[in-house]
Amino acid sequence: MFAKLVVYCAYYLKAAHWYKCSKAFFFDLLENRQSRRKKYFDATMILLLVSSVIFLIYDIEHTDSKMGGYFELAILMVFIVEYLLRGWIYSDTYKIVIEEYEKALYLNLPFKLSGIYKKLVAKDLEYVTSVFAVIDVLAILPSYRPLDILRIFIIFRLFKLFRYSDSAKLFADALASKRFELTTLLIFTCFLVFIASVSIYMFEYQNNAGVNTLFDAFYWTVVTLATVGFGDITPQTTGGRWVTIFLILASLGVLSFFTSILIAAFSEKMLSVRESRTYAELAHYDNFIIICGFGRVGQEIARHLHEEQKKFVIIDKSPFKVQAAKSRGYLAIENDASNNEVLLNAGICHGATAILCITGDDVVNVYITLTSRHLNKELRIISRANRHDNVNKLYQAGANQVIRPFEIAGMLAAEFVGQPVAFEAISGILQSQSDIVMESVLVSEKSPLEDQNIGQLDLEQRKLTLLGVISANPIHLKHKNKYPVNQQHFYFNPARQFILRRGDILVLLGRKYGIDHFRDQVEQRRLFARKSI
Amino acid sequence: MKQIAVFGYNRLSFEAISRLDKEFYRIVVIDHDPVKAALARENGFETANIDFRSDDDLRLAGVGGHIDTLFCFFDTDSENVFLTLSARALDPNLNIVAIVDSPESAEKLIAAGANKIIDPYEICGRKIHDMLKRPDITEIFDHTVFGRHDLHLAEVAIPEHSFLENIHASQLELGSQYNLLLIGIVNKKVSDRLHFVGEEIDRRLNVGDILVILGPSREIRAFKQDVENEYCHVGPK
Repeated sequence: MFAKLVVYCAYYLKAAHWYKCSKAFFFDLLENRQSRRKKYFDATMILLLVSSVIFLIYDIEHTDSKMGGYFELAILMVFIVEYLLRGWIYSDTYKIVIEEYEKALYLNLPFKLSGIYKKLVAKDLEYVTSVFAVIDVLAILPSYRPLDILRIFIIFRLFKLFRYSDSAKLFADALASKRFELTTLLIFTCFLVFIASVSIYMFEYQNNAGVNTLFDAFYWTVVTLATVGFGDITPQTTGGRWVTIFLILASLGVLSFFTSILIAAFSEKMLSVRESRTYAELAHYDNFIIICGFGRVGQEIARHLHEEQKKFVIIDKSPFKVQAAKSRGYLAIENDASNNEVLLNAGICHGATAILCITGDDVVNVYITLTSRHLNKELRIISRANRHDNVNKLYQAGANQVIRPFEIAGMLAAEFVGQPVAFEAISGILQSQSDIVMESVLVSEKSPLEDQNIGQLDLEQRKLTLLGVISANPIHLKHKNKYPVNQQHFYFNPARQFILRRGDILVLLGRKYGIDHFRDQVEQRRLFARKSI
Repeated sequence: MKQIAVFGYNRLSFEAISRLDKEFYRIVVIDHDPVKAALARENGFETANIDFRSDDDLRLAGVGGHIDTLFCFFDTDSENVFLTLSARALDPNLNIVAIVDSPESAEKLIAAGANKIIDPYEICGRKIHDMLKRPDITEIFDHTVFGRHDLHLAEVAIPEHSFLENIHASQLELGSQYNLLLIGIVNKKVSDRLHFVGEEIDRRLNVGDILVILGPSREIRAFKQDVENEYCHVGPK
């Protein structure tokens, strides 16, 4: 009967929207590193921690202050609630119940709660024994007054800072990455300490006023091993001195080994630290471009984007190129862009609008294109093909557009020979070098341009030249001079009777401010029309 | 018929040659690497295997003689600079187009006497940037003016006794008469600068002016013929 109730509750929770929402809310607050809420929460917690320690110091001098007590209580409540919430979001109990229930149903076995208890306890233990949970408990325990002796452990609360600060986490990660070396060293050190303590105790006991217990010997060993040597206990016997000599020599080895492990760990971690900073900055952007390859082409694009203050990130394997990018103030990651994880971290699935695969190697370009398309179906991918044979491969791999540097350059060279003036004109327009630009104006919904014919637009008065209209609307198909491009048509030099429809794009040539003015007027009248409705 | 000498056979020169109309240009491919020269010959191009370092060889190939345009398409900038320098010394009127690999070589090529520098990487970078900035227009232009479709830019010089003489630019009505668009006009007497239509007041056309027009090649041909025909008069309606 009770088992049935449990199962019913589990299914209820699985279906309940509010339950999911609240769980997602707390997950965002406590664990989701991408969320803004977590940042605010972390900052608040750090503030609480620091102030709790400040109050502890204040308490030492003013034992009878009441304010400190209340504050302590409040902090304690927050910590306990946080601990429980973390435990709650650590696992999904109802899922375990449902899984077990369905398994039993499938295998035609009787459903028993005991199996679930075991699993739940195992899951809970997993949470309780995790490092951070232990630190959390250590932060809570000292507030329990009967355990006043533990008040010193309030300092442990500061360990909780690890939870809220990413750089502290990195520090811990760096150490964790050298776990094997550190463990080996620890075992050796323990061994050394044990031998040295016992030996010095044997030699010095009763010969030395400072060494009365084994603890004294242990204390002396640690002080000597750390090369601190206070000098409060000095060996008096020849045997003790020999032990000291050996201990000092051994401790030099231990310390240098320890230092080298630390340095290695940090220098290894530093690279990813820098990278994670780049990633963290990218996480703020919601509209940026990933440039894979910082060769000549990449540099040119980056320069343009930088001038326009567009956001972008460069990924390149070569440390020199990454260094060059960084020295120009660009965001850059030194890594292999064909690696899923690198692209994911760079935000290919959140925030990136386009990726440019423009390394000098077609094989790499195809591979990055394929990887990107696999990771994100919607992304715009522009790839570079150095050889003609590879254009189709890039399209197959999922590129939206393929560009061939040598083809364009060859084409321009040929164009230049035939008609240098026209060439300069058009390249000037395309590169926005002159005042004259080519821009598009969209016929949007409720736009005054909608259903008007070209003759009515008065473009000559505005000193604008209409090159053509881009449209996907089949209604225009009867017109002449159409050039199919993708799913739409380009209607070159449309007749005066050409009626504009919603979604059409006018391609205009003229002075920048002339086109801007025209666009502004169109927009204003559109807004005006909307208000009057 | 214009004579073009292409120095250096590679992907880029292949693309450039393929784009040139064989009717109007006689092209000779020159490479000192016999393998590349053989490859060009295999692909059906007229080739010559001479050493560009020697002035005599260059003269033999026609530089300083019948060659009008020189493409310096070697892979290394130093070779291109050397060739430009030698060719300019042989023929001050030669039209020299050179490609550049590293941007700092551009100045050297200009100093050596090249008329036009083409930097494939810069062009490519700008192109991709353009694709990002305004995808619609870039794509249309790639497919029409620069692409497979029959839409071209052309220059038309106004000869003497043409019907275009002394009429105003606005009276041309290229759009309705020829299905062409007038992009701009160069007044050769004043400067080489192109004045876009709409940019300034209505101009009276003179002999020697160059019209830059955009349109299908059939229309361009028809317009060119009419312009050169003394007796033709396609006046304003």
